Amino acid sequence: MPLEGSWESTALLTLIVFGPAIAALGLLLAPKRRTRAIKLLSLSATMVVLVGTGYLCFLLKQSPPIGQTDGMSAAGPAVVVRLPWIPAFGVEYFLGVDGISLPLVLLTSFLSVLAMLASWTIQRHEKAYCVLFLLLETGLLGVFLALDFFLFYVFWEVTLLPMYFLIGLWGGPRREYAAVKFFLFTLAGSVLMLVAMLMLYFSSDLRLLSPSELAACHAGEASPSEDDSGVEPRKPGESSERFGDTSAGSSDRPRHTFNLLALAALGQSRNLKQMPASFALGKAESKEKSSGVEGQAATLGPLDRPLLWGKSVQWWAFLLLLAGFLVKVPSVPVHTWLPDAHVEAPTPISMLLAGVLLKMGGYGLLRIAYPICPAGGYELAWLVCGLGLVSMIYGAFAALAQKDFKRLVAYSSVSHMGYVVLGLGVWSATAAVGYRIDAWLMGSSGALFQMIAHGITSAGMFFLVGVIYDRVHHRDLDQMGGLLHRMPSFGAVSIVIFFGAMGLPGLCGFVGEVLVLLGAWHYSAWVAAVGATVVILTAGYILWTIQRVYLGAEYRGPHPEALEPMSCREMAVALPLAVLAVVLGVYPQTVFSYAEPSVRQTIQQLADWTRRYEAAQPSAANLANPASSETQPVNFQQPSVFQNHSVTVADVDR
Amino acid sequence: MPEIDVSKTIPMLLIWAWLLPLGAFGVLLFFAPWLDRRGRAAGWLATGAVAGSFLLSLLALGFWVAKGPTGAEPAGHSGQTAGVSSQTRAPSENPTRPITDHTVHQPDGRLESIAERASHQSGLARPGPIVGRLFSWARFGRYEISLTYYIDTLTVLMCMMVSLVALCIHIYSLGYMAEELHEVSDPLVQAAGGGPLRRPGRFGRFFQYLSLFVFSMLGLVLAGHLVMIFMFWELVGLCSYFLIGFYRERPSAQAAAMKAFVVNRVGDMGFLVGLMALGGLVGTWSLGDMPDSLGQPVAGVFTQLHELLVGQSAAAEGSLPSGLGMPSGGGFSRTLWILAAVGIFCGCVGKSAQFPLHVWLPDAMEGPTPVSALIHAATMVAAGVYLVGRFYPAFPPEVLLVIAVVGTITLLIGATIALVATDIKRVLAYSTISQLGYMMLGLGVGGWAAGLLHLVTHAFFKALLFLCSGSVIHAVGTNEMPQMGALRRKMPWTAWTMLVGCLAIAGAGLPGLVGLSGFYSKEAILAQVYLFCREQPAVGGWLFAAALAGAGLTAFYMFRLWYMTFAGPPKDEHIFHHAHESPPVMVGPLVVLAGLAIVAGWRVPGTSLSLQQLLDRDRPVLLAAENAARYLPGVGQPGDRTSAESGTSAEYGKMQPLAGSPVWPVVIPEEHRSHDPGVAGPVGWMAFAAALAGFLLATAIYGMRKLAPERIVQAAPAVYTFLKNKWYFDQLYEAAFVRPVLRLADGTVDVDRQVLDRTADGMARGLIRLARMEDWLDRRWVDALFNRSAEAAYRLGLGLRRLQTGELRQYVLWAVLGAVAIFVLVSLGW
Repeated sequence: MPLEGSWESTALLTLIVFGPAIAALGLLLAPKRRTRAIKLLSLSATMVVLVGTGYLCFLLKQSPPIGQTDGMSAAGPAVVVRLPWIPAFGVEYFLGVDGISLPLVLLTSFLSVLAMLASWTIQRHEKAYCVLFLLLETGLLGVFLALDFFLFYVFWEVTLLPMYFLIGLWGGPRREYAAVKFFLFTLAGSVLMLVAMLMLYFSSDLRLLSPSELAACHAGEASPSEDDSGVEPRKPGESSERFGDTSAGSSDRPRHTFNLLALAALGQSRNLKQMPASFALGKAESKEKSSGVEGQAATLGPLDRPLLWGKSVQWWAFLLLLAGFLVKVPSVPVHTWLPDAHVEAPTPISMLLAGVLLKMGGYGLLRIAYPICPAGGYELAWLVCGLGLVSMIYGAFAALAQKDFKRLVAYSSVSHMGYVVLGLGVWSATAAVGYRIDAWLMGSSGALFQMIAHGITSAGMFFLVGVIYDRVHHRDLDQMGGLLHRMPSFGAVSIVIFFGAMGLPGLCGFVGEVLVLLGAWHYSAWVAAVGATVVILTAGYILWTIQRVYLGAEYRGPHPEALEPMSCREMAVALPLAVLAVVLGVYPQTVFSYAEPSVRQTIQQLADWTRRYEAAQPSAANLANPASSETQPVNFQQPSVFQNHSVTVADVDR
Repeated sequence: MPEIDVSKTIPMLLIWAWLLPLGAFGVLLFFAPWLDRRGRAAGWLATGAVAGSFLLSLLALGFWVAKGPTGAEPAGHSGQTAGVSSQTRAPSENPTRPITDHTVHQPDGRLESIAERASHQSGLARPGPIVGRLFSWARFGRYEISLTYYIDTLTVLMCMMVSLVALCIHIYSLGYMAEELHEVSDPLVQAAGGGPLRRPGRFGRFFQYLSLFVFSMLGLVLAGHLVMIFMFWELVGLCSYFLIGFYRERPSAQAAAMKAFVVNRVGDMGFLVGLMALGGLVGTWSLGDMPDSLGQPVAGVFTQLHELLVGQSAAAEGSLPSGLGMPSGGGFSRTLWILAAVGIFCGCVGKSAQFPLHVWLPDAMEGPTPVSALIHAATMVAAGVYLVGRFYPAFPPEVLLVIAVVGTITLLIGATIALVATDIKRVLAYSTISQLGYMMLGLGVGGWAAGLLHLVTHAFFKALLFLCSGSVIHAVGTNEMPQMGALRRKMPWTAWTMLVGCLAIAGAGLPGLVGLSGFYSKEAILAQVYLFCREQPAVGGWLFAAALAGAGLTAFYMFRLWYMTFAGPPKDEHIFHHAHESPPVMVGPLVVLAGLAIVAGWRVPGTSLSLQQLLDRDRPVLLAAENAARYLPGVGQPGDRTSAESGTSAEYGKMQPLAGSPVWPVVIPEEHRSHDPGVAGPVGWMAFAAALAGFLLATAIYGMRKLAPERIVQAAPAVYTFLKNKWYFDQLYEAAFVRPVLRLADGTVDVDRQVLDRTADGMARGLIRLARMEDWLDRRWVDALFNRSAEAAYRLGLGLRRLQTGELRQYVLWAVLGAVAIFVLVSLGW
């Protein structure tokens, strides 16, 4: 039995998301001068959240997901909370975790603990810092757990403000410029996302979904409210439509939704009901209805309605979402906020920024942009892959030219996140390969793994840079050297993490890179081959960095006397990252065992959509001339886990 | 006596042999500094682990030779590792696959595999590989990446060779690296305060890296999955990086380490592309047929490729076989096949220092000499040759020709540069490059056993040569040969063992009778090249001439080295005076390796067993040749096989191009024909003559001083400068790749700063300007409007204030006037 709505999952997910925020509220009452206590309290809050996510991990292994009947392991969101929030607009407090979000949630809570440990060096306004830090963690966790678009958007914005202040108040000399730049770039991105969200919301209509799909998407009535529990008499035959008409008078009005799963079902025209004529979506469809082609609408979902210049709603929505998410990733050419933000941000904030914040973009693509707007993803795959490839190469070249240690690491992030974009973008399950998803699945899983691996290595690298900066107060690569000799344990951990970032086999970076490249081959051999050149550049800048910083006879820069070995606290931050880099590199199955089923389900649905879409493509004019498309397949059955599950709607409700 | 199941025992032995050095690495990783305070404990620990590896490998070799798992039991699970022993190298014995018409039905109804058919030719039972899975990494539909092993004769031999050479070098290092036990002063590095840099010793760290290397190298030869091979491939590169940069205080060592890694990465990028192409072609990277989670065998690379080729051949005949789940709609792209093979060969070019990526190996001599011996001569650099040998059946003939040509170019480059080098280790490094070229050439012309035999024998004598040079460097404290001379009087053991090495690498021996190990392997390669030359005189002639010239050059530069170092008068009295023989712990391995360099090519007394015979037994058949021989008209139908085996059919074993070959027909001759007396006899004498010529010339110039080298240089100064500058490869690459890349990198930064940032900042500034303008509008117009009206009201108020005089009469007057006015207005208006 899924854990939806159970007391346990509600409490757990709410604790995970709002635990840090509650701790932050508590901190507000704490006396300002007890800085050590404040830090300890924040640290314990992050640790509690980590324990909670660990338990979540355990639950996900335990509980069969909704609709699991065919022996597939956990694929859909398994631990779910769903409560009404703003009923007038169908906004819900809807959280859930599946194999895609779980690794990222774990990464967030894990890195938060380490970043909080790394925050011990913060010496100004500790209380405000901790409050903002914890608020940031709430926002990040919320983004990865939200299954309601509106809620997602709110959390997305919640991450923005604490980050702005954390950079702007605790940052380096040019912190104001960096903070404003960060804020403006990401705000521009989120405005685009907001527009897309509203477009999707007003195009959606829950009445189109079949009851089984509604149940699978958790899109039934959020809670048995009073008027729903029997005031209105309902005929048995009508039960399948009971979601369309909460009040008798509104049954002909579309029922909009922010539910990401339902939006995905609508966007992919999955299991749509045969619509009565009164549900006509637009001119084209009504014409089609009148010409007697029943069910054609089933392949044309509500989001396929043409919007502008012959492109559909979802095409435009995809473009906007893509722009919004790529700012966050960040992809060339909207990446320039990243180096500045990183260089100015304090070390722990850099860790979170690179380790987690950037992943929001990749996660958004995988969770929102692709499932909801497949038409856009399908037609713009070249754009996504191209931007990913350009980011990979551009970031690597730019990193090669840096003299500032932290800037170098920042540009390496651009390069590594390019792999993520490329891995997600390779829409290779087309007719040419018989809609086999294997290669695409490999690329997308690789991208997800790359997010985790990059979260570990980049957070590690930023921390290591911070360790040096705390001692010698500069980051000039040309004024370093010999650190392996001066700080042996620091050097050893650094080399593990740097080689992990370089993609050395046996360390975590390799897995993501190689899977993305191997998967990209099936989209375009040229893209993959050009992408493979990045491994040379990566080796170049990482090894050059190691040579300039760690090797050499002795340190040649200011403050040589300050180079003392790492403290225990610093070791406690760096060592887990190094160990994790090795463990994930040797046994990546730890991530894939959770992630693969969910990614597979997502990709499989998209591949099925592609099959329907390409089948409908030959008569591309079927929007304008529906009569020509009589032979098109109608209402494909979804061969995924949803097909024959037996959860009734009432079960979902309670 | 209970029957021992070799298919389980051998993997277990080799896996333990593989893991022992990892254990040593793990211990040293944490306890090396602690152990360093207790003498050579770290060294003994690592040496013990390698000795264990060697014993286990030797045991595995014994099992393998004594009782190869030939056609014993059907595929089944084996124990806890879920390993499965499968007798199929390539096709046909797979019980789940539909029997296609290409398989030959034996009289007893069994299907005959390629392996068995090959064994019929050599007249020996040929064991199939033992394959199995350790654990799965990730699985995406039909793509699986897992840690698997693939054990055949090549694997077992390589394990034995690697662990044996590694053991010798570990023992040697106990003596050679002893100075690292205490604080070291490095004369090559200037400390900040002047004088040589003093640093703590790194004895334990050295053995830690060595252990990691042995683990990685054994993993590389054990791995049965190309992605796994790629992983260990990079890991040995990492060890090489650390060990080249062992003296990390020296800028030259840092640069060399980085150069080695980056140049190797260039090759690895090709490897990666090859892996992608292979994934696109056959959808798997597993070499052998590996069982899936349900125990059903899934066809590996060789089987898949075989099926594809059969499918193509059959399609040419008009009958498509019922294929098993072929990828990508069953299409077979020859271009993709060639791309995959070339890509994998690119990796080999990088690792084995072949032209054009050979530039890193000479610089790698910055590492300690035992490292040069183990990694940069005997084992790691041979990994490229190993991979070509491992993947050999799946190479298309065109790519084999490419391999042969690249090998030949490398051979000449290496040998010519070695002629003029004066650094003793660099001479040996260029010699290594040249010999690796030999191996590639041998493999490329179809001499699988010849190339790999040379790999093994070369490992022994090149390790010996490097260790001898290390002994010399240890004694005299310099690498420069012009400062040495007459050292045989001071260090006889080193001198005579090194002479054995020189003779072995020169291929000394009497044709038809007996010779040192290098004699057998070099002759085998030359015989195969000669055979190729007979088939294809246009290309083969050049290859054979180059190979013969290379043999002569090899003898010349090796004896030049020996004479300059050990013979003649001492050049530097001070150095000569301080020279001394090395301690027994260093001389011992020299003697062992010298013995191996002599006998490695011999038969085991009383039996017919030898390395060459063992390799011949396991010689794979080119998948391309196999299918061409079967399906193309006129190239040896299956019926011709009997005549082919007797060697009478000249046609058999030739490789005709498949339909649509993009280049001219490449004919790869069968290797067994090179053992013909008609081929081996004359070739043996030609090789003998070439080597003798080289030896005599070296003796004349450097031994007997009949000719002054300076005069030869003056005769052709341009050639000398060209060779001295190593064919200008470093300068070329610096100008063609390094600097443009750095300039491009600076360019991207400029784009960021000048274009993207300016755009963003400009947009922000534009917004601010807009805001200012709006602000101005507000002030100038909107505010002004309100202000003015407020002012007007104020003024009005001021004006009206004057009305308020306080005089009642005036008020009454105004009231009356007002009332009258209202009255008038009302009466007029309404």
